[in-house]
Amino acid sequence: MAKVVLENVFKYFDDVVAVKSVNLEIKDKEFVVLVGPSGCGKTTTLRMIAGLEEVSEGKIYIGDRLINDVPPKDRNIAMVFQSYALYPHMKVYDNMAFGLKLRGLPKKEVDERVKEAAESLELTKLLDRLPKQLSGGQRQRVALGRAIVRNPQVFLMDEPLSNLDAKLRVQMRAELQRLHKRLETTIIYVTHDQVEAMTLGQRVAVILNGELQQVDNPVSIYEKPANRFVAGFLGSPQMNFIKGVIRKKAGKYSFEAEAFTFVVPPEVDGLLAANVDKEVIFGMRPEDLWDVPSSTWLEEQHRFNIKVKVDFREMMGSDINVYVKAGKDQMIGRIGTFADPKPGAELDLVMDLRKIHFFDPETQKAII
Amino acid sequence: MPYYLKKRITDIIINIVMLMFLGLTLLPIGWMVFSSLKSSTDIAIGRVGLSQTLDGRPKIQWENYVDMWKNVNFGLYLKNSLIICGATMVIAMLLSTLASYSLSRFKFPGSDLFSNTILATQMIPAIMYLIPLYIMFVKFTVMTGIQVKGTYWGLILIYSAFFTPFSIWILRGFFASIPKELEESARIDGCSALQVFWHIALPLAIPGIIATGIFIFLTAWDELMFAWVLTNGDTMTIPVGIRLFVGNYQNRFDLMMAAATVATLPLVVLFFFLQKYIVAGLTAGAVKG
Ligand SMILES: Nc1ncnc2c1ncn2[C@@H]1O[C@H](COP(=O)(O)OP(=O)(O)OP(=O)(O)O)[C@@H](O)[C@H]1O
Ligand SMILES: [Mg+2]
Repeated sequence: MAKVVLENVFKYFDDVVAVKSVNLEIKDKEFVVLVGPSGCGKTTTLRMIAGLEEVSEGKIYIGDRLINDVPPKDRNIAMVFQSYALYPHMKVYDNMAFGLKLRGLPKKEVDERVKEAAESLELTKLLDRLPKQLSGGQRQRVALGRAIVRNPQVFLMDEPLSNLDAKLRVQMRAELQRLHKRLETTIIYVTHDQVEAMTLGQRVAVILNGELQQVDNPVSIYEKPANRFVAGFLGSPQMNFIKGVIRKKAGKYSFEAEAFTFVVPPEVDGLLAANVDKEVIFGMRPEDLWDVPSSTWLEEQHRFNIKVKVDFREMMGSDINVYVKAGKDQMIGRIGTFADPKPGAELDLVMDLRKIHFFDPETQKAII
Repeated sequence: MPYYLKKRITDIIINIVMLMFLGLTLLPIGWMVFSSLKSSTDIAIGRVGLSQTLDGRPKIQWENYVDMWKNVNFGLYLKNSLIICGATMVIAMLLSTLASYSLSRFKFPGSDLFSNTILATQMIPAIMYLIPLYIMFVKFTVMTGIQVKGTYWGLILIYSAFFTPFSIWILRGFFASIPKELEESARIDGCSALQVFWHIALPLAIPGIIATGIFIFLTAWDELMFAWVLTNGDTMTIPVGIRLFVGNYQNRFDLMMAAATVATLPLVVLFFFLQKYIVAGLTAGAVKG
C-alpha cells in the first residue's frame, strides 16, 4: 500500500528510446492501467518499477522511498507476468509459498496465508499439482495467488489476461476488480486491450512511442481525448476523422468539410475563435452517428442530418456498423438492427453535435 | 492407402531400422560377454560355440570372473578408475555449472571472448597436448619436488581441465533455454542472484547437468591415452590395467573379456537409473515455460 511516483523517467536501449520523459503519480490504493499500442514502452515502464530494468534517467519512488538502486527483492512489490512464469518444478502450493519462505516467515503463517489465498481464488483442490497439470485459467489464478500471498505494497501486472479466451477474460476482469476492492492495494496494470483499460482502470494512462499522452479516468479519456492519437486509440471501431475548415459567419461558427457543413453548437464554439479559416480535423465516434429513428429524442440544435452513401456494413448482433461515404470522406456509423442499409444505397444519418471533437492538424492536439 | 495404414507401415519400417541399429550396437558387447565365458584356449583357436568339458558337454567358464581378480590387480584399477573419474566428474560439473550459468545470464567484460575461447580449445586434438603435458609434469616435479605424474590428482587435474570447457558449452544451452521470466519472478519474490541460481535455475537444469555429468564420467572411464602416459602401477585405471592381461608371457583374452564386462557394469547401472534424465538432457527442450 503505497503510492508510486515516476519523475521524468527515460529508458534507452542503445539508441532506442523506449520510454521518454514519463511523469506519473499513482496514488495509494489506486488501480492504474497503462495502455498503448504494441512496442510503446508499457512493459519497459513496468519493469523499471519492478527493478528488472535499470532506469536510464529520472527517478522512481515507491511510497516516499527513492528506489532507483533498490534491488527487486527489497521493493516489496509483486508482479504477474504475461507468461505467468510459474516455477515448473514446484507444486502450486510451493509456487505460492516460495516468496514467503524466502522472507523467513514461520511455517504456520506461510501455510495460513497460502491456504487463505487459495481459498479466495478457488485453488484449494489444485495445491498439489504441478503447473503443467493446470489449464491456462488456473495457471493465471495461481500467478495471481502467488502475488496476493506476499501482501505487497504494489501489484504490477503485465497483460495477465492476454493468454485467456474471451469468456474467461471477461470473468477474470470482474475477478480482478473484486480483488482490488478486497486487497486495497495499489495496482499498476499493463495492457494493449482498450476494453480492459476502460473497465479496470480507475485512471488510465495512454502511452505512445514511449511518451505519456494522457492520464485521466476512463470516461474523461474517452470523452475528452487530449489528442488525435488518444481519440483514435480508444474506441472500436475507431473515431471518424474528417478534414475541413472552420468558418465564422454572422457570429456563428461552422465546420466545412468537402461534402457537408454544420453549425457548431454555441456551448463549445468559444474555443474555436483562434482557428477561424484554418484547417482542422473533425472527429466523431461511430456511436455518435446514428440512424434517424434512434435519434428522435435529441434536441434540434444538437442534431445534424447528413446524407451518405453506404459502402458496406458489419452486423454486430446488437447493432450494425455502417461504413459510409460523404463525398470522398469515409465514416463509420452505428445504427439499429431494424435498419437494413444496402450497399450503394443512400442513407440518412444523424450526428450528435454534443459529442464532436476538433484536432489541430499540425500538433494533433485537441481543440475541443 | 488410408492414412493409418501408411503410418503403421512407416512405424514398422522405423522399428526394423532401429532394431538393426540396436543389434549392431549390442553385437560387440554380446561378443565380449560371450567370450568372457569361454576358456582361453577356445578363444585362441577361434572356437565358435561354448567351451566343452572333457566328456563333450558345454561348459560355462565362470572361473574367469574369479581369476581376473587374481591374475592382475584388477581391484586396484577399478578403485583407481572410480576415484579418478568420480572426482573428475564432481569437479568438472561444479565448475562448468557455475561458469555456464554466468555465461548464459550475465554480460561482463570479456564474456564473449571467454565463450569463444572455450569453443576454440575444442578444435585442438587432445593428442597435441600429450607431450607438452608430460614434459610439464616432469619439469614441475624437478623444479618443486612435488610428484605429479603417477598421482591421482595429476590425472584428475588433466581430466577436469579437458572436460570443463566442453561441459560449459553444453550446459550453457540448458541454462539459456530456461525462460528469463522465471528468474525475474524469483528475484521479485525475494531471491538474491545466488538464490535464483539455487532455487530456480539449478533444479530446472538438473536433467542437463546429469546428462553432462554421465557423459564426462563415461569419457573419463574410457580414456586410455593420458591415463597410460601419466599414471603408474599404483594409479593405473581400468583401460590401462586391462591391457596387462595380454602380455609377454601369456595372452589371457578370456580374463580380459571378463574384466571388460565388469568394467562395463557401472556404466550400465548408471544408464539404467538415469536414462530418464539422459534422454531429457539429450533432447534439450527439457524446460518449457
Ligand atoms: N531488451 C531490449 N533491448 C532493446 N530494445 C528493447 C528491449 N526491450 C524493449 N525494447 C524496445 O523498447 C520498446 C518498448 O518495448 P516494450 O516491451 O516496453 O513494449 P510494450 O509496450 O510492452 O509492447 P507490447 O504491447 O508488444 O508488449 C520497443 O521498441 C522494443 O523494441
Ligand atoms: Mg509488453
